Amino acid sequence: MAISGRFVLLVLLGVVPVILLPGWGTVLLVSGVLAALAAVDLLAAAPLRTVSLLRTQPGNVTLHAAVDAVLTVRNDGGRRLRGVLRDAWQPSAGAQNAVQDIEVPANESRRVTVRLRPVRRGDLRAPHATLRSFGPLLLAARQRTVPCPGSLRVLPPFHSRRHLPSKLRKLRELDGKAAVQIRGAGTEFDSLRDYVRGDDVRSIDWRATARRSAVVVRTWRPERDRRVVMVLDTSRTSAARIDDETRLDTGMEAALLLGVLAERGGDRVDFLAFDRRTRARAGSSGQGNLLGQLVQAMAPLEAELIEMDWPAVPAQVRAVSAHRSLVVLLTSLDGGAPEEGLLPVAAQLARQHVVVVAAVRDPQLGTMLGERGDATGVFRAAAAERALLQRAAISAELRQHGVSVVDAEPHQLPPRLADMYIRLKAAGTL
Amino acid sequence: MTGAVPASAVQGGTYADQASVRRTGWLRRHRAFVACAAVVAAALVLVLWAQLSPKGDAVPMSVHNAGPDGARAVAQILGRHGVAVHDAGNYGAAMAALEAGSSPTLLLYDRNGFLDGPRLRSLAASAQRVVVVSPRLQTLDALDAGIRQAGVVPEASPVLDPGCSLPDPQAAGTVSGESGFLYDGGTTCYRPDGSSAGLVAVGSDGQLTVVGSTAVFSNGQLDSLGHAALAIRTLGPSPDLVWYIPTLEDLDTGGSPASLDELAPGWARFLGPWLALVAVAAIAWRGRRLGPLVFEPLPVVVKAAETAEGRARLYQDSRAVDQARDNLRAGTLVRLSGHLRTGPGATAGQVIDAAAELLGKPAPELRELINERPGTEARLVAWSRELDTLEKEVKSR
Repeated sequence: MAISGRFVLLVLLGVVPVILLPGWGTVLLVSGVLAALAAVDLLAAAPLRTVSLLRTQPGNVTLHAAVDAVLTVRNDGGRRLRGVLRDAWQPSAGAQNAVQDIEVPANESRRVTVRLRPVRRGDLRAPHATLRSFGPLLLAARQRTVPCPGSLRVLPPFHSRRHLPSKLRKLRELDGKAAVQIRGAGTEFDSLRDYVRGDDVRSIDWRATARRSAVVVRTWRPERDRRVVMVLDTSRTSAARIDDETRLDTGMEAALLLGVLAERGGDRVDFLAFDRRTRARAGSSGQGNLLGQLVQAMAPLEAELIEMDWPAVPAQVRAVSAHRSLVVLLTSLDGGAPEEGLLPVAAQLARQHVVVVAAVRDPQLGTMLGERGDATGVFRAAAAERALLQRAAISAELRQHGVSVVDAEPHQLPPRLADMYIRLKAAGTL
Repeated sequence: MTGAVPASAVQGGTYADQASVRRTGWLRRHRAFVACAAVVAAALVLVLWAQLSPKGDAVPMSVHNAGPDGARAVAQILGRHGVAVHDAGNYGAAMAALEAGSSPTLLLYDRNGFLDGPRLRSLAASAQRVVVVSPRLQTLDALDAGIRQAGVVPEASPVLDPGCSLPDPQAAGTVSGESGFLYDGGTTCYRPDGSSAGLVAVGSDGQLTVVGSTAVFSNGQLDSLGHAALAIRTLGPSPDLVWYIPTLEDLDTGGSPASLDELAPGWARFLGPWLALVAVAAIAWRGRRLGPLVFEPLPVVVKAAETAEGRARLYQDSRAVDQARDNLRAGTLVRLSGHLRTGPGATAGQVIDAAAELLGKPAPELRELINERPGTEARLVAWSRELDTLEKEVKSR
């Protein structure tokens, strides 16, 4: 049960008879009348046992977008239900109007729409909803919490989508569809077509030209139907926050951009989130479009506080693709961990595959490097210098093993990784 | 028999062990609670002890006060000379002591004028002699012995001579006039120059003695000048001395005005409880939650630069100047090498030579700068700035 502000006001008004006729008798009488009013109102309120709630699952939404969660309140009792409904979403679901007044006549149902503006990625839940039914005087209410589980999957925002048009244009330039001036864009022979001004003269096919009256050029297209395997590290190092975003989130952005780009480039894309076991898996082979699958797979991922099991990664890659593939390892290069785990595994993978290691660099280190004001600043600069040197050393060692390294600041990582992919594709090394 | 003893001992031992394990386990589980309880108990004991321990008497002129302004010394000396000193805490006790004693002397020190006329008069009537210390105007009026206030002792006369024929001052000699009051009427002694009023005044019938200074009786100044003699001769003639310092409880409250409670109207008594009831209702209204709270599973997020910052603090705490220098030097060389395109296998010397060539500076000078080993933190700061400047110069070319 609960009481309303109106009842409190009534109790406050009760001070008038108490002042006019002071005495314990008046106090008892007024209290009794108030209690009786509340009791009568409570008894007259619509019973909540006969009220049922039905939730329509809101489905998916991208981060920071809005979605409506719909609850249907059905009143099977004989009295009109007047009261308040609270749809108990977890705080990060950002329910704008979680508490709403409802009025449901007897044997009817009403729909309640709660606007959600989630602020965190993942599966957000609403375990229950609470109903409060007031009596006709609006003095006292019955209250009941009904288990009514709801779930909302908040997908990664894919902010790097804005890089997609420019990268796709670059990819099409490789494709011979657009007039390109450089030779060697792509490696697979595509077709012959008439020469247009601006074409590279070196791509003129003289034998075909001889058979015809017009000058004919050869066009190439980039190799197709290669495999791209992206391995996202969800171990403890991915929990580090860099520039308001965890490494995990930046890795997702990069993986989404690369995945969409590679799919448009005609390659088969597989995604794997791994620490000590597979946390998520998605790929072109599945049903539906790739982007949808990728975001669905990534949505519930969280950084796990365990060490990455690097020796198990080659087997995972082999399980996904038995052929030569582009293997992208989205991880971190910070000192300590990579020498033991990442280096030997990347070297081992590089013997069979083309391996790219993509890692986020912390811009904070660059800021610390410039602090030369006092002794504290210089020691900080020295520490930052050491961290950067370690990264550089690991990058150099990876490159020695034939592994490409993309080491960029958070907002730069997705486009830089996409550029790396385009470069590898143009060189025909996939 | 001998065989059974170890068995029972072992058994007893295991029981004891189990009990102690259980007890230590409980202690470990409720460690914080036990620590809090111990602190609270200790604080409680301390407070109780401080409250219950006998406090020193700080009332001026009190016979129990051993401080400089107390009068414990006088009372002790009088007691050793056969004078029974009765310390009267209130009016009733003083009257009782006066009536019980044989030809008692009353010492009255009423700083704040707590006693009213009738009480003063009955006290004076019961005592054979009354010694009043620094009395106020009302006290003197009530006693009606023809003695009145005559101001304070001027600062020009810090020491006063007896200057009268009474035997006690004569015998005692000089006393201090510091912060004393003067009284006129009757026989006056210790008169400052050019004044008829004195520090000591005795009524015409000899029953009332007014002493205008507490210094004469105080522990602090009892041994200076003739204070001790004057005090003991003034208080000591009779076998009983009633020492009475009126307090607040001696104030006659019979005719005090009506209390606030009696003045308030009848309904005011019910207003408070009713407003409390309103408050309870308001608490019930706002405090009732709309259903249970929902948990938010929070992921672990760590700042990435934390390790570098921790290492920086370690460097600073251990004053690792050499380590910091090595790091900064290596970082600068690597960046210079990248900018000057000396290739991955270039040595430090080659990088320095390339930089010197680019900047048009002598190579030994640069080599000296880059290979310097700063000994102190101050030098490290200056050196790192020079290195930074060098790097910027190279990059600007």
